[in-house]
Amino acid sequence: MKVELVNIGKKYEGRESFTIRNIDLVIESNQFCVILGPSGCGKSTLLRMIAGLNSITEGDLLFDGKRMNRVEPKDREIAMVFQSYALYPHMTVYENMAFSLKMAKERKTLIHERVLEAAKTLQIEEYLYSKPSEISGGQRQRVALGRAMVRKPAVFLMDEPLSNLDAKLREHMRVELVRLHQALNTTSIYVTHDQTEAMTMADIIVLLDQGKVQQVGAPSEFYQEPANLFVAGFIGSPTMNIFNGRIENGLFRTENDLILVEPNEEDARKLKDYEGKEVCMGIRSERFNAGKAEKNGITVNIDVIEMLGKEQLLYCKFPDGQEVVISEPGHFEYGLNEDHNFNFDVDGLHFFDAETTMRI
Amino acid sequence: MSRKKTKNDALYLSDRQPLTTAKLISLIISYILLIFWAFVILWPLAQIVMSSFNGNQGSYISIGGEYKFSLKHFTYLFNETYFWNWVLNTIVVAVATALLTLLIVSFTGYAYSRFRFSGRKASLMTIMLLQTVPTFAGITAFYTLHSIVAAVIPGFTRQLFLILIYAGGGIASNTFILKGYIDGVSTELDDAARIDGCGNLQVYRLIIMPIARPMLAIIALWSFIGPFLDYMMPSILLNDPKSYTLATGLHTLINDQYNMQQPAFAAGGLLTAIPIVILFIALQKELVSGLSSGAVKG
Amino acid sequence: MKYGTTVLDDIGNAHPRKNLRLREKGVLEEKLKQADKSERAAIRAELKALPKKSDHPYEKDLRAVRDQEKKLLQGTKDRRRKSLSEIKDTDPKIRSWLLEAAESEERYRFYEQHQDLSYDFELEYKKNFDIADQLPEAAAERRALLDELAEAETDLQKANSEDHATAKADFEEFRAQRIAERDEQKARLKQMRRDGMISAKALQNERKMTDLAADEDIKSKKRSLPPAFTKDRVRNIRHKLKTEAVKKEKLLNADISDLRRRTPTETDKRIPWISWLTILLPGLGQLIIGQRLKSIFFFLGSLYIYLIAIPYSLGYGNYRGDGIAGLFSLAEGGARLDRSIIFMIEGVIAVILLVLALLLFYFSFRDVHRNEKKEIRGIRLNNWFETRSSLRRDGFPFIVSAPAALVTIFIVALPIAVTMLISFTNYDPTHQSKFVWHGLVNFKQIVAGQGIAGGPFWLITGWTIVWTLLATSLAIFIGFTLALLVNQDRVLGKRFFRTTYLLPWAVPAFITIMFFSILFSPQGPLTIALNNLLGNTKPADMLNIKYTSWGTRIVLIILQGWLGSSYIFLLSTGILQGISKDLYEAAEIDGATGFQQTRHITIPLLLYQTAPLMIGQYTFNFNNFSIIYLFNGGGPFEPSKYGNMAGTTDILISYIYKLTIQNQYQGIGSAITVVVSMFIMFVTWIGFSRTKSFKEEKL
Repeated sequence: MKVELVNIGKKYEGRESFTIRNIDLVIESNQFCVILGPSGCGKSTLLRMIAGLNSITEGDLLFDGKRMNRVEPKDREIAMVFQSYALYPHMTVYENMAFSLKMAKERKTLIHERVLEAAKTLQIEEYLYSKPSEISGGQRQRVALGRAMVRKPAVFLMDEPLSNLDAKLREHMRVELVRLHQALNTTSIYVTHDQTEAMTMADIIVLLDQGKVQQVGAPSEFYQEPANLFVAGFIGSPTMNIFNGRIENGLFRTENDLILVEPNEEDARKLKDYEGKEVCMGIRSERFNAGKAEKNGITVNIDVIEMLGKEQLLYCKFPDGQEVVISEPGHFEYGLNEDHNFNFDVDGLHFFDAETTMRI
Repeated sequence: MSRKKTKNDALYLSDRQPLTTAKLISLIISYILLIFWAFVILWPLAQIVMSSFNGNQGSYISIGGEYKFSLKHFTYLFNETYFWNWVLNTIVVAVATALLTLLIVSFTGYAYSRFRFSGRKASLMTIMLLQTVPTFAGITAFYTLHSIVAAVIPGFTRQLFLILIYAGGGIASNTFILKGYIDGVSTELDDAARIDGCGNLQVYRLIIMPIARPMLAIIALWSFIGPFLDYMMPSILLNDPKSYTLATGLHTLINDQYNMQQPAFAAGGLLTAIPIVILFIALQKELVSGLSSGAVKG
Repeated sequence: MKYGTTVLDDIGNAHPRKNLRLREKGVLEEKLKQADKSERAAIRAELKALPKKSDHPYEKDLRAVRDQEKKLLQGTKDRRRKSLSEIKDTDPKIRSWLLEAAESEERYRFYEQHQDLSYDFELEYKKNFDIADQLPEAAAERRALLDELAEAETDLQKANSEDHATAKADFEEFRAQRIAERDEQKARLKQMRRDGMISAKALQNERKMTDLAADEDIKSKKRSLPPAFTKDRVRNIRHKLKTEAVKKEKLLNADISDLRRRTPTETDKRIPWISWLTILLPGLGQLIIGQRLKSIFFFLGSLYIYLIAIPYSLGYGNYRGDGIAGLFSLAEGGARLDRSIIFMIEGVIAVILLVLALLLFYFSFRDVHRNEKKEIRGIRLNNWFETRSSLRRDGFPFIVSAPAALVTIFIVALPIAVTMLISFTNYDPTHQSKFVWHGLVNFKQIVAGQGIAGGPFWLITGWTIVWTLLATSLAIFIGFTLALLVNQDRVLGKRFFRTTYLLPWAVPAFITIMFFSILFSPQGPLTIALNNLLGNTKPADMLNIKYTSWGTRIVLIILQGWLGSSYIFLLSTGILQGISKDLYEAAEIDGATGFQQTRHITIPLLLYQTAPLMIGQYTFNFNNFSIIYLFNGGGPFEPSKYGNMAGTTDILISYIYKLTIQNQYQGIGSAITVVVSMFIMFVTWIGFSRTKSFKEEKL
């Protein structure tokens, strides 16, 4: 099912301004879409509007071209998995999974078939007649998934379903969820604040901040071509290094003159209009080359080293105290308080307009 | 499968620190006090039991005299008094109060917890304020009010009015307690139920109420026990001895100088006490937690 | 209000005016605002010179189109007849849908040409377009479902007539097999238990689940047997037919509602005068502005106001009272059977009815007023579908709380109000049938301690306070101590003690009180025992507890201590068990002895957590009618100080009881009630406002 959001906006009654506004989004059939953003950015509100739990103030929500704004949640062919699973505590697992079909007065044989089928896929057949309080967190989550699956929805909605699980289980479930999505042939919309989940699971990511879309696209786009400073700083761990400076004579220069970089041809062309203007330059920690001082180099002092095995993170300081994070292979030898030289890989530079924060 | 404790003087196996003399003395004193108080409680209660069966008493209770086991007081109670009427009345009033309270309060508790409507805060405050006014404040009006209504609506008995008073007096506090309990149920359950196809009433009936069952049971229990314990309201409202409840009815056995039947009273008291005591003992945990989770009108 | 050049829709978006006449006005008004003094006169003249509604070119165009519209609408009947004959389907719902779709198609073609002329036409165009678009599709789907149903029904007939011996036999075989499987599983479980591999609880659980699983399998197999299976299918399709029809219509209405929210309207009106004009007749305003079905409800309200509330207040339909007038007259000079109390109560009822009527006036006015103002801004009024939906959504809590509200108003608030009023009358033994207002006389009597009834007031109040403090504190002290003692680590037999200490609370208090009353009566066993202890053998020297005020008082306090300690004990035990052991261990490391731990940890925590509830205990004893009245009737008497009605151990509430019920001094009794209630409300308020939930505003 293709899901389209056209100029969606939400204004709560009694509030002056819109919580979310001008959201445009197209999710193709069978795509796994992740709505990503920090707390309070409006992602849960957006999901709830798609589900029908919150009303849509302006704009249109289309499922396969059909307008869904006023359709009740139960009629939208959706299923939702909640952060706290929301399993009915007084019903057995079987009854939980059968509930929606029972409310629709489906045939009992059909209900039984579907429940058993879902239980088999998720490997929870043993718990069918237990109550939610009698099973573990991970099993409960699978029951929540089963409850959603049984409806054979066209759109699968998930609101931070993994946040209540411990780290190991979370890793495992990430893979399980993607497999499930592929097996079920549905469109999935997944809300989270965790960028790892987004980057690993999504076909397309929508990054929201303060009710506005910051960027939409494939995960690689977010990493390689962040659309603005917010995106650049949100995606990627460790966070991208950002330097404030200006363009002088085609070169990027910071205020303190410690960094002087000549951009490559493509970037230089784009930066021609920014001569004399303030600009931010971003570079990821792994795009530094270790080596003798060259044209686009910096000399910094190593403050803290985080050894991760295959790579190590060097938290370095400039003479004036400015910090930078550099990632180098683990087998290189570095020591604390040593001064080293690193060169910018000019193909890995990102430039942003200092005023609008947009990508150049 | 348990293992026999091995007694070994050389090894000190207990988890606690060894007893010092001071601690030993305080422990002994504690036991003395506790046993003394247990006696203070059990003696009068035992007397009630014994007196009901002591055939050697006439109209007055005597303790320490000759004891002759007999059931004649019970026979008197069953045959010569309206005891069974009182039992029936009390049970009817208690059950009706419990049901009516549950019906009204389950809806208001749900409405106040799950809906934000205008006037919600104001009415909640008013409810709590009303809750502080004791029921007896209205006794002057009750009697006449009943006459007026009974003249307009035939069949509006005094018992019905009594039930309404009991239920009405409990609406405020019980709504508040139930609301507090339902507040603790995550609203995500409501959302899931709506997606599954439930409307307001169905969410209420199929999801919220089953989950709130423990609290509903406590409310029903208190509303049920209330009429058993109350003397004042029935004595004001009910005028026919046949229609009395147990408290008022048993009182008639001992307040009339010329019709004194104290042992029968003891017998009646015993019979009334036994089921209530069993109820209390079996459900003490729930009852206490229900009381402490909100100021229930004493 | 100005006309402006734009109008707002319900979402807040501005749309340019289509009504050219009003637009001109708006343009000129804006010019006026921005103009300086010299130009103002000229612009104002322009405004005046604008053609009137009947002459304006735009309005002429509009009227022409409206005439065409009228002709179009007049042709509806004929078109309907024609379409009816053309529609082949026999299902009534489908026919009505297709009919409507055909009609809408005609209409939208018409309105399409004129949408720029007026927003109304734009709305009609879009609306009819949607109808013509959605209904045929819905009809086709319904037809498919109906065909499926027919098929299923024939199948069912077939299945019912056939014999399903083989299927049944299969089922029985399956069933036997499954049961055998289940029993085997259960036997295995039992063996595991015997071998000690699983616990008793696990055995119970697994057994239950095995049973459930087998049951479900058998049940579902049974359901798949031909007749049952097909019956299920038929039932399912029928249900779908019903719900789909409702769903489709609801969707269509919802879409139309959306269109209404986004298409503005234009009106000449600048002042919401209809609401003011119709304020006295709820329903009329709604009718005039076009919300016909809603007006019916408000008209019902008007019926209530004019046929029930107002007549009743004027005295008609009263049982014996005289409506509001009765509150003032209190049956003065009336017939013998006219009693003041009835007049008063009916007067209060009249007030309540009037207040409800006033509320109705207000809500109706507000409804019309708001809608008029919205329309002036450009927002379309809600149609019936929208009103009904919002009622269903937002009205649920109100409807559901209505019974509670009714009971509270008439059973709780009304009596309290009446009592308050009575306290300002001279309702006493000589004024039983008829009494009059006499202001604060009762209160003065009480405060000054005068009169038959008011005399002992301060004495009784004094004893009430002493009683409350002593009895409650004693109970609390005993309860706390017992809880602390029993909770000690080393004490054995906790269960026995806890059950025993529960008994005073469990046994209905009236029984124990009455029993003790008997025991302490002049010939009672305890009196005799007490005198034997004191060595009083001569009848003249006998000490009778119930005849001495100090004796009764002491026994009462001790008795309440006995009764009340139980609840305190239970409460404290619960809290003590909830105190984390970590606190004590930390204290021990810090070097505190057992006693110090109790004093610095246990007691403060106990007090802090029970404090709000303790207030409830004090107010309970303040109003503890039962024990005072049932033990010794509030006696013994001491007429010299207390008069003939009150006894020396009466507390305020038992005194009120005696005054009101037994001695017919209702006036003074009510006055005391008012004072006592205020006091208790005040104290409870203090206690309540300190509780955590109130502070956190968790309302």
